Formats: sequence, structure tokens, C-alpha cells
Amino acid sequence: MANFRRFRPDDLNKLSKCNLDPFTETYELGFYLQYYAKWPSLFQVAEDQHGNIIGYIMGKLESSPDVYRFSEHYLPWHAHITAVTVAPEARRLGIGKLLTEQLEVAADANDAWFVDLFVRVTNYKAITFYKNMGYSVFRVVKDYYGEHSTDPSLSSEDAYDMRKPMKRDVKKEHVRDDGEKHEVDPSDVW
Amino acid sequence: MSSYRYGRPALKSTVDVQLQTAFSDGNWSSVVRLATKRAATLKDPYYEAIKMCAQSQLDGTLEKCAMLVAIDDLVKAKKTPDIDTIELYEWACRDFFDYEVEYADTLGPLRARWAKANPGSPLALQCLQSCLENWDLVSAQQISTSLDKAYANTSDRRYMFWNIILTFLLSISPQCTDASRKVYSLLAVRQLERAADLTENSAKLEATDRGLLTEEEICLYYRVLHSHGTKEEFISRLKSPKLGAIGQLKDGRKVLFCEGLDALEKWGEWDLIYNLCREALTLGLEGTTAPFFVCDLQIWRKFASAASKTADSDSALAEVQATLKKYVDIKDQASAMYKKNISLALLETTFRLPATALNPNHDNAGLSPRVVQIGLFLDQYFERLSAFDDVKSYVAELGFDELKKLMEDVLPKILDEDADKARKIVLKALECKLRYLLTTCPQSLSPQPVVDGETKDKLFQCRICANATSLLCESCLKKLLVDASETYKQINGDKELLAAIPRLDKDPRLDLALVMGTSLLKLSKLQPRTSDATQSLWQDVEAGPFLQAVLLLDTQLRETPGDTELRLLLVQLYLLLGCVSYAYQLWTPLDVKRTIQDSLSPLFFDRISTLSPGLIQGPRPLMGPLRNFYEHSLRDKSPVRIWDAFSAGSYTSILDMTEFDGNLRRSCTMMMTLVEERRATRCYGGKIDCEIEEYILTENINDDTNLVGKTDYGPFPNLESVHGPSIHEYLRLGPGLSNERSHLGFLSEQYLDLLSYKPPKDYKPANASAVALRDREYTLETLTRLSSSMTTFLHAPTTPSLLTPAEHTYYTTLSLLSAALLIALSTPRSDPSPKTLSMVTKSIKTALTTLRTTALPHHHPRPGPKPSSSSPAWTSYTGTETHALACLHATATAIKHSAAFVLTFHDRELARDRSGRSGLHRDVLAEMKALGEVAGKSAAEVKGWIQKLKEGLAEGGWLDRVLDLVFGDQNDDQDGEDGVARAVEEVVAGERARRSGRGGWWRVGGRA
Ligand SMILES: CC(C)(COP(=O)(O)OP(=O)(O)OC[C@H]1O[C@@H](n2cnc3c(N)ncnc32)[C@H](O)[C@@H]1OP(=O)(O)O)[C@@H](O)C(=O)NCCC(=O)NCCS
Repeated sequence: MANFRRFRPDDLNKLSKCNLDPFTETYELGFYLQYYAKWPSLFQVAEDQHGNIIGYIMGKLESSPDVYRFSEHYLPWHAHITAVTVAPEARRLGIGKLLTEQLEVAADANDAWFVDLFVRVTNYKAITFYKNMGYSVFRVVKDYYGEHSTDPSLSSEDAYDMRKPMKRDVKKEHVRDDGEKHEVDPSDVW
Repeated sequence: MSSYRYGRPALKSTVDVQLQTAFSDGNWSSVVRLATKRAATLKDPYYEAIKMCAQSQLDGTLEKCAMLVAIDDLVKAKKTPDIDTIELYEWACRDFFDYEVEYADTLGPLRARWAKANPGSPLALQCLQSCLENWDLVSAQQISTSLDKAYANTSDRRYMFWNIILTFLLSISPQCTDASRKVYSLLAVRQLERAADLTENSAKLEATDRGLLTEEEICLYYRVLHSHGTKEEFISRLKSPKLGAIGQLKDGRKVLFCEGLDALEKWGEWDLIYNLCREALTLGLEGTTAPFFVCDLQIWRKFASAASKTADSDSALAEVQATLKKYVDIKDQASAMYKKNISLALLETTFRLPATALNPNHDNAGLSPRVVQIGLFLDQYFERLSAFDDVKSYVAELGFDELKKLMEDVLPKILDEDADKARKIVLKALECKLRYLLTTCPQSLSPQPVVDGETKDKLFQCRICANATSLLCESCLKKLLVDASETYKQINGDKELLAAIPRLDKDPRLDLALVMGTSLLKLSKLQPRTSDATQSLWQDVEAGPFLQAVLLLDTQLRETPGDTELRLLLVQLYLLLGCVSYAYQLWTPLDVKRTIQDSLSPLFFDRISTLSPGLIQGPRPLMGPLRNFYEHSLRDKSPVRIWDAFSAGSYTSILDMTEFDGNLRRSCTMMMTLVEERRATRCYGGKIDCEIEEYILTENINDDTNLVGKTDYGPFPNLESVHGPSIHEYLRLGPGLSNERSHLGFLSEQYLDLLSYKPPKDYKPANASAVALRDREYTLETLTRLSSSMTTFLHAPTTPSLLTPAEHTYYTTLSLLSAALLIALSTPRSDPSPKTLSMVTKSIKTALTTLRTTALPHHHPRPGPKPSSSSPAWTSYTGTETHALACLHATATAIKHSAAFVLTFHDRELARDRSGRSGLHRDVLAEMKALGEVAGKSAAEVKGWIQKLKEGLAEGGWLDRVLDLVFGDQNDDQDGEDGVARAVEEVVAGERARRSGRGGWWRVGGRA
């Protein structure tokens, strides 16, 4: 039912199975293409037998800008998961996990210290998903999201910044057990 | 590039503070004054440039042109100004690049020259970026050549590959002259060939070597080879040890393997496909790659289908099975996804094996291996959301006896008697879907000898129920409906089942409702609306079952509002019914925005101006976001984010982004957006802001442009087999977007633009008659072009099948009108009365009459939903009629305006030239006047009818009548006997009672 391959721009015409689901955000064209331009091997898709995209992951490799080198929030060379989504009909088949693992392989191949991502603190499904793959909360970003996903009376929502150490981080210096207790402002993350 | 990207450039540091300040403050008159002074004293041409640049910021076309003249002089004189001057000029010119001024004729060559003279400067790179962002490939290629030479032995490999990829891009671009195309093609291939040889022949490559090293470089090579090289070269390299597909797989690179197989498939190189797949899959088993690295379904499919096409297909297929067997053995290590792929591969191979290789009865239960395999698959996966879709195409391939076994022997045995209730229900829902599928498979019918006196529309016998039937067995569908509704009611009546639903992959009631809904649609005799469909929905379609389907699906949507498939289905149904505002209410939550608009917007917006111009006209134009998407994404001449791909060395991304950009610029959805907006505006007598050809978006579109339709039908439910049309084809108002229809829309808008053109009021030319002559020539030229283009598109053999009948009449009329105007304007007064004109006008009148007869109700007896006698005509008015009515209105208006155009033209000529010699032929005037009157009458008629419609809707209570239609005369209706209507009503009523409310059907009243 599924093929795994690198994203191609034409896939943007086949996103409906993923993107009509309210949990998946649709971005401007330039946003997708920027990832495809800069990190094509970190943009992978799963497609079904009819060519519909039923899952994708979009990621990047970077470190914080040099000017922040001495800031406590400076992030060394790492991979970042910008989006991962699987169409409702294809969930719980391991597609999300496979896509994430592919990105981790690329992160190791590029000598990244860790892989990180942001997730809404109420997206329990996704949090469980990441935790089961070895990610843990590194810090809480207060009011990271501009609106609340479930409670319309709230104007913002916190994010967990979750991380998984890669091979380079032999001593596990870039993760911590009590990440939930470390709160930062959105302006502290890049 | 648009101005927003250009920051004001910094002046050279040698420039004095006073001038610097004036410049950075944008105090342009001071800058002009100061720069003039400095230029005089310092004799530095840089100050001349500053002056000119400042002048261009002051209002005044002349100053702006002065700068263009200066640039032109530099280009022609082959001079190379310094980089600061170039930057100044480029900044000052920024707004021109959107219009007539070509970067490639102005700043591009200056940049290229500068980079050639200073290749080692970091600013040369900036020159490359500028040329690329303005998509001046000629200059960019030249710069890249200079850069490659300057950095020949650095470890930054990009210079070499920028040069190669730009040479290649140029060779396939319209920017390249035909004379140099060949040279560039060869140049790109040869450079890459040399690099590939170096890689194959060296033990180890350093970053400084000019071989192929990265995956992107290698894939670029194959892409270029595929385009410009020979098949033999491609194949031989694909088999080579290092750069071959298998060699690359061993290095963990999969892209080439997949792209290589695609190319081989197009060439029909089955032997090689077979070998590559076998080797690749073996790598996984041996542990050379990750075990399931290439275990994609498409690889298994290609492997099996290639095996069946090789010379010794028996042993090849045996090998496929043996390989697959090894994977089955290690399946437990795989993730669920790969396990499923392997199960599907088993199915695939079973179905690809020749009949001889399969012992048809080797199972003691008398099951064929194909049925056994489907059974095994369903055993594992029947509860998954995608189970039906996974097996659908295989089931549709089975022979009738196999189908019977599957349904009667295999499915019922998947679960034991005492299995969990909820699982049983899921299985039951799947069974219903499969039963529906069977009704769309020709194997379930056998031809029936026609006995005299028997009805001729039942040419077949259904092999399932043994009844005589047409292509669709109604009695099977009815039985299915009743059974599905029983199951539905069973769920609703069982608390335990209801409680279990959230734990399931999907609410089984949703599947049941879809089965019932589509069955009802089929029973209503709904057909795909192609060109031969009648313009009245109810002429072919039975209102009862059709409306029952809508009501039932609508009720289900309230239960499962998150289901996209169902929602889209309903959007289409309501559009077909003409309930546009309600359809829009259902459409909005899908949140189709930004990037996905190109592929999904046509599902709502195509033909919308004929259904409800008011909807897209209002204070917040609904099509605004769509137009913004194109304006924003196509604002620059270069593909979005292309420099990012260059700077990252993502060569295949560059190629794909370029192709994607080219397609987006030729998007049918984009053309639909422009045309629909204009039509809606016109309907409301609004002002159209500019001619369609003046939009930047249509800049490069001409008759030869192939406009591409990318509508995504993926999110529709599809229970149909491959033997018939997909469900979305039944639901559309007419054929989907196409190159031909988009062109016709574009041309017709150009024609209407011509009619409505008015010279600016304050324009009083000195030589009025010379200007009039030129205007007339221009009009005649345009008419000639439009008439010929429209005729060409209309006469293309496939065109009629791509339009609704009303559209076909509309476009035909416009093409005839352009011909009529051409004759009218070019026949000299002294000639005898032009016969051709009356022939053309006669055809126009005939076309109008045809359209009137079908679109206006009192012209023909309207079949209407059953109790039509008792309800006013407008209850039978649906989207298809509204569409025809709108086309009639547009046609009549176009005729009226054309006639007025001719008469005005004549009056203007008379006013200008009192001699009357330049006026038009008397007979022409009479002919056009008569035509205009006929059209005027039709337009008024349409208006009157619309008014009546509005009043009718305002009367209220029509929904009650619709509901009467749905369930009304059940007792004396034959449908009542087999209980279909009752079954539907019970589900709907039950569901509504459960949810206790009148539900939203009542809100459907908001017809546009
Ligand atoms: C989160 C998401 C990507 C998971 O994709 P998926 O393909 O269904 O996940 P997988 O099948 O690979 O799951 C791997 C493991 O994660 C855990 N997991 C995944 N979904 C879960 C769920 N709904 N509940 C609990 N655990 C879950 C399970 O441990 C699972 O392993 P198992 O199935 O063997 O028990 C998918 O649910 C999704 O697209 N959600 C919407 C978009 C989203 O929220 N993205 C994340 C934003 S940061």
C-alpha cells in the first residue's frame, strides 16, 4: 500500500489525504519548497497505490545563528523535525515511525547532536508517539502557538520542545530528565 | 523580482556625507542637485548614475526612460560599469522587470560582464544570484562558466555543477536560441560523461576532483542523460558497478534506483527491471542494505510484472515467489507497514502468475489461489480503514465463480460465530462495500437473449440475483440498501456497539451510509455529466432516490462531521442541486488554503459563476485567496526558492522546482480563477479592473501553451470498480478542467475585452483619422486571431467531450460572433450585401434558440420530480439548469454587446467622417441590429425568470415539498414495495431522533 520516497514538488497536488485533516497545517508554497531546496533528503513521503500522499516528514539540519553562540539557549548542530503527518487512514501502521527513523539516520549521517521538534502540549497522541521512539521533553516553550487547538477561549498554547540524542552525543549531554520544569519564552527559541 | 526584495543599495563609502544622507532619506531632488554638482567637479561617472537613479524616483516617465536608455547604451557599447553602478541601476529599475523591460536585455548582460572580469570577487556570486532570481538563464550560465574557471580546483564543487546545470537548463529553455540549443545540450552531457568516467575509473575521489561524488550530482547526471543522451548510454551506466543503481543502493542511496526503474518502464526494458529488482531485494536479505529498504509496493509490482514479461516468465515468476517467500520468513522483524506491503506483494504476485501456473482447484474447499490469497489478506486486515481500497482492484479482477466463492465462502468465515460484536459489524460493512463493488463489475452480468416483446433496456441477466437487468442490477442494489440499513439500525439500537465505535478505525455507519448513498444515486440513474448529458438534471435522474441519497448522507455527516470523503461528496451533490450557499457552508471547514488550492479549489469553484455569481462577488470575494496564491507564488520570474536550491547544491530539486513552476504558470485552476471572477463580476454589471491579457499571470500564455489540470480527486470515496467511471465523474456539473476549456475561457474573455474597450476619455489625438484607421486595423487583427483560435480549439476532436452542452453553445456562439464582426467591419459599403454574414448570424440565432429551449423551462415540458404537477416549476430547478441558464444569459449578452459594438463603431465613424465613407454597410447594420434585438429579448427573458425563481424561493415551504418528494408517495410508488424508501427513512429518522433535532437539512434552503 505504501511507497517511501523522497518528496517531489508535484506531490503538493496530492496532499489532500493528509492536509484536509484538521491536525495538519497547510503552509505557503515557499515554505515547502524551501525545505525541498535546502534539505531534499530530509523531506520524505509515503504514497499509496494511487499516488496520494499518505504521510510525510519535513526536516532540516542547522545550528543556532552564530551571534547566539554564547547564549544559554544556543543550539549546536542538530536536525529538526518541522512537520510529520500521516493520513488518518494510514495511521498506526508504523509510517510515522519509519519516516522519523529515516530522518534520524540522516541526522546521524550528518553528525548531528540530536533531533528536536515542537509539539502542542495537548497533542497527546503525537507526544506518546515521540516518547515511544525515545524522545523526551527538553523544555517547555510558553505560548509558542498563537491559538489553542481545543479551547477557543484561550489565545495561546504551550509547546514541548522534545529531543532525542543522536550517536554523536555519547554522553547524552543534550537531553535531560526534568525538561518539563524548564520553561522558556518563544523569543528564546529559533 | 519585485521591489519588496530590493533594499535601497548603499552608496560607495567615498561618497560625501551630505549626498549619502540625502540618498538614504530618499530626498531625491537634493540627490539630483548634489550628484549633478559632484559629477561636474569629480568627473566620476558614478555620480551620473546616482543622479539618474534619483531622477527615476521622481515622478515622470521621461526620467525613468533616461535611465533605461543609459543602461541600453552600456549594453550595446559592450561596456562594463562598476558593480556599485550596476546595483544602483538594478535597484532603480526594479519595478520595470514586471513589465516590458527584460532583465536578460539589460542588467543581466552587465552583471555577466562584470562577473567575467571579476570572477574571484565574492560579488560575482551575487551577480549569479541576481540573474537567477530574475530567471535570466543566458547571463546566469555565462557567470557560472566564469566562476567554474576561477574555482576549478577548489573543494567547493558547486561551481562546476552550477555551470553544468545552468547549461542544461538553458538547453531546455525558450530563452535559448535554436542555433545554440544543440551546443548547450552536448556541452552538458559531455561534461557529465567525463565526470562519470572519472568516478568509475578512480579508486577514490577527493572533493577537488571533477568527478561525480554526491547523490545529487549523480542523479543530475542521469537526468541530463535521460533528456539528452541515448537510451543505450543510460542503460549501460545504470548497470555499471559504482554509478549503477545497485552500486548506489549499496551506499544507501535509493533515489537513482527508483528513477532508473521509472525510465526503464517507459522504455519497456523488462529484463533489466526484473534483474535490478531481484538484486535490490536480495541486498536487503543479505544485510547489505537495511532489510526492507526497497520493500515498497511499487518495487514488488514492478518486479512481478517485469517477471511476467520476460522471455522465461515461468522461472522468473518462480524466482519472484521465492524471493517473496524469504521476505515472508523475516516478516516478523518488519514494521506493520512493511508487513502489509509484503502481504500485498503476495496478492500482487498471485494475480500476475499465468493461469497455468495456478492450480485452479488446489484448495480442498474448491477455492482458487487468488481467492485464497484475498481471504488471507482480509483475515489480517479487514478491520483497517484501507482494507477495501487495498483489495478492490484484485476483487474486480476475479471471475464470477471466484467472486461468488469469496462472498459466500470466504468472507463469512473470517470471524467465528462468537467473535466480538463490533468486529462483526466492521466485517459486515466491508461486505456491503464489496457487494456494491460487484454491481459495478461486468463479470456479474451475462448477456441475455432478447425475446420479442421484452423490454429492450434489460439486455443482461444478473448472475447474482438471476434477474433481467440493464448494465446496473437494480434489484441487487435495492437488496443491498435494505441490508445495509438493517445493519445501520442494528448499530444504533445497540448501546454496546455504539460504545465500541470510538475504538474502531472508522465508524462502520459511515461506510454503510456511503454504500446506501451511492446505491441510491445509481438507482436514481445519475450518469457522469459528459457532453451528451441533458441540461435538466431531472430529465435523466429520478428525484426520489437522488434526494434520499442527499438526505441520508447529510444526516450521516452530522454524525461524523470530521469525515472528509463524505463532506466532499455532499459538497458536490449540493452544487449539482444548485444549493450553493449550503454547499459552501460544507466546503469551508475543509480549510482549503494556500498551497493545496491549486489542486483542490476546482472541486468547489469550477463553474461557480454559472451557479452563484453572487457568492463570489460579495464584499469579501471568495476567490481572493486563490488569486493571491497565484500572484504571490508566481510574482517572481524565477521558481520560488530557487536560489536556496542552488546554494545548497540540490540539483534534482532545481530541476523539479523549475518544472513545477512551469506547470503552475500554466495551471488550469489559475485560468479558472481569473475567468470565473470576471464572469461573476460581469453578471453583476460590475467593473472588470483590467483586460485578461494584462494580468501578469497570463503574460506568457498563448494558443500553444498547454494548460495543465492538476485537480486532485484523491479525497473522494470510491466504491466503483475500474471498469466504470469514478464517483466524482458522476457528481460534477460537467467535465473537469482541461487545456481546451481553459483556452476557450481565456479567448472568450479576450473577445469580451475587445467589445468593452473604450479609449481613455481625455485622449484627443491630433490626427483623429489616422488613429481611427489604426484602431480599426487593430480590431480586425484581433478578431481574425480570436476567431481562428476559437475555431481551432472548438474543432479539436476531443473538445465537445470536455464541455457541457451549454458551454459548447456559448463558445460556438462567441467564435461565430468574432467571425460576424470581422465581416461586418471589413465589408466595404459599396460591395453587394455580404451573404456570409447572414449565414453566420443565422447560425448564431439557431444556437441561441437551442440554448433557450433547453434552459428556459416553459419552452419544453419539464419532467421534474414526480409531483411536478402540484408544485411550481422552480422546485425542479437544479444546478444543471442554473448552469445552462447562466450560459444562456452570457450568450445573449455577448450577442447584444457584439451588435452594439458594430452599431457604435458605425456611429463613431459617422461622427468623425461626415462623408460617411468610412461607415459600415447598410445591410450589415440592419443584420446586426436584428441580431441584437433577438438577443436582448432572450436576456430579458432570463432576467424575468430569475426574478420569478427568487420570488418562488422567498415564498418558503419549498423544503417541505422537497421532503414530500423524497418520501411522499411511498405507498403508491413501486419503490415502496421493496422497502428502499422506508429503509432510508428509518435510518434518517432514527438518526435524527437519536440526535433529537431537526438537523441541517432545513438550512439547505439558502439557495443562491
Ligand atoms: C502522530 C502521527 C504522525 C503518528 O503517525 P503514525 O504513522 O500513526 O504512527 P506509527 O504507526 O508510526 O506509531 C508508532 C508508535 O507511536 C505510538 N502512537 C502512534 N499513534 C498513537 C496514538 N494515536 N495513540 C497512542 N500511541 C500512538 C505507538 O506506540 C505506535 O506504535 P504501535 O502502533 O506499535 O503501538 C499521526 O498520528 C499524525 O499524523 N497526527 C496528526 C499530525 C500530528 O499531530 N503531527 C505531529 C505534530 S508535531
